[in-house]
Amino acid sequence: MTALAELQEGMLARILADELPLPHGWTARHEAGLEIYRNNYRTALVEALRSTFERTERLVGEESFRRAAAHHCIAHPPTSWTLDLAGAGFPDTCAELFANDPDVEELAALEWAMHRAFPARDAEPLDTAGFAATTAEFGEADWIGLLLDFLPGLSLVRTRHDLVGLWSSLATLEGAADVRKLDEPQCAVVWREGERPVFVLRPLWEGGALAALAEGGTFGEACALLVDELGEERAVTNAGAMLARWLADGIIAGIAQ
Amino acid sequence: MTDIAPFAGFGLGLRRRHYADFLEGTVPVDFVEVISENYMVDGGKPLRLLEEARARHPVILHGVSMSIGSAHGLDADYLARLKALADRIEPLWMSDHLCWTRSSAHNTHDLLPLPLTAEALDVVCDNIERAQDALGRPMLFENPSSYLTFPEDEMAEWEFIAAMAQRTGCYLLLDVNNVYVSAHNHGFSAHDYLDGLPLDRVRQIHLAGHQPGDIIVDTHDRAVSDGVWALYAEAMRRLGPVATMIERDDKIPPLPNLLDELARARDFATQTWEAVAA
Repeated sequence: MTALAELQEGMLARILADELPLPHGWTARHEAGLEIYRNNYRTALVEALRSTFERTERLVGEESFRRAAAHHCIAHPPTSWTLDLAGAGFPDTCAELFANDPDVEELAALEWAMHRAFPARDAEPLDTAGFAATTAEFGEADWIGLLLDFLPGLSLVRTRHDLVGLWSSLATLEGAADVRKLDEPQCAVVWREGERPVFVLRPLWEGGALAALAEGGTFGEACALLVDELGEERAVTNAGAMLARWLADGIIAGIAQ
Repeated sequence: MTDIAPFAGFGLGLRRRHYADFLEGTVPVDFVEVISENYMVDGGKPLRLLEEARARHPVILHGVSMSIGSAHGLDADYLARLKALADRIEPLWMSDHLCWTRSSAHNTHDLLPLPLTAEALDVVCDNIERAQDALGRPMLFENPSSYLTFPEDEMAEWEFIAAMAQRTGCYLLLDVNNVYVSAHNHGFSAHDYLDGLPLDRVRQIHLAGHQPGDIIVDTHDRAVSDGVWALYAEAMRRLGPVATMIERDDKIPPLPNLLDELARARDFATQTWEAVAA
């Protein structure tokens, strides 16, 4: 390792950890300067997390959030050049620190998904008429082999809580958190509508089919998952309705070639 | 590599609080400066807003994450994204800081000081050459504010910067507040600093506020101090026409307050240039 690399690794280690001894030749003045850099580092990252996870902060309270954010930036120092990614893994940190309140992790995961959808690549959704025109001549084999492209930034968050109500209740600083458990786990589907990230809650079976297609699976494979979950009769009924919902939501970007 | 022609404009940083002013009204600035990384994204609202701003004003791309002093070299993905943004926006110029921000594994998102050694100078020059080659244009590099110096230092900061500019052909962004802050923190003369810089390479000046104290901190959260205005006047007496920007990143006031500060800079500069010309 070169002398410069060694100096930089050492300084970074001392920014991340308070307890390391000072390098040879450093004085109290150096220590005071180092403390400013340490404070700048933590402040910038905590503020970045506050900006990304503002509803999570409102849910757990400012002080609890600050402790969790500080823990996260010490335990998981950022690796990317963009501060936008400083919150990567923060939902997992919430799962660890708020283990008795799973709604915290779920809300943080939803905020992270919304945050990532915001600057996603632009794409126009395929409308129902366009889809109908493209598939007008489809035979059974075409439907089974159908591959779909979804809007960039689309993602899924599994939840046991009514994230719609929780999200809405935390829209302002004054809001009281509306934490309600769902009868059955669901899936938040997140995407960007125009310039605005949005989400809806959908049954887990729909989320499973959507995930399979988004990962490159065929419509036939997604339908097989529905059969496993719902049985053949309900799967047939729901497959078409599900596709129609996705077109109405505007999350399908096109039919993959 | 093309030259960067002097541009005697006066501008402000484009910050979220003032988006509507800049995009819907007429703001009397000659350029706006944006933080490059905020727009090095795939799509969505940030790029749309920047393109709208670009349609109204020349834009300067000012980066904070190139890490030109990193012993581990530059990030290829970062350079590719920055080039794509530059090709899209066609900025007046692009700048970053003489500092390092990342190690082999982690990024601090803070502008950390370099030891002023021959080894660090070699690393910085190699990295600048790589960046300028990748971007296909020369860059400006900003003198940092710093809160510690290293026992390993072998030269003054202005000597380091002069050698850097001479070896790489890069231009300079002279942050007058940073000179003031570091001169106080490390006990050197700000006038010696200006004397030692190759001022013909300066294309832009930054003015900002700082937090006073035993160690002054470069906070960008308040108005420019009287001491910095005095140093700005001194710098303008020595410089030809260059661009000047008021930098404000925290506790951002209403736009008219910043325009008042910018008008003060414009008056200072104009009077100085007229006096020098006479």
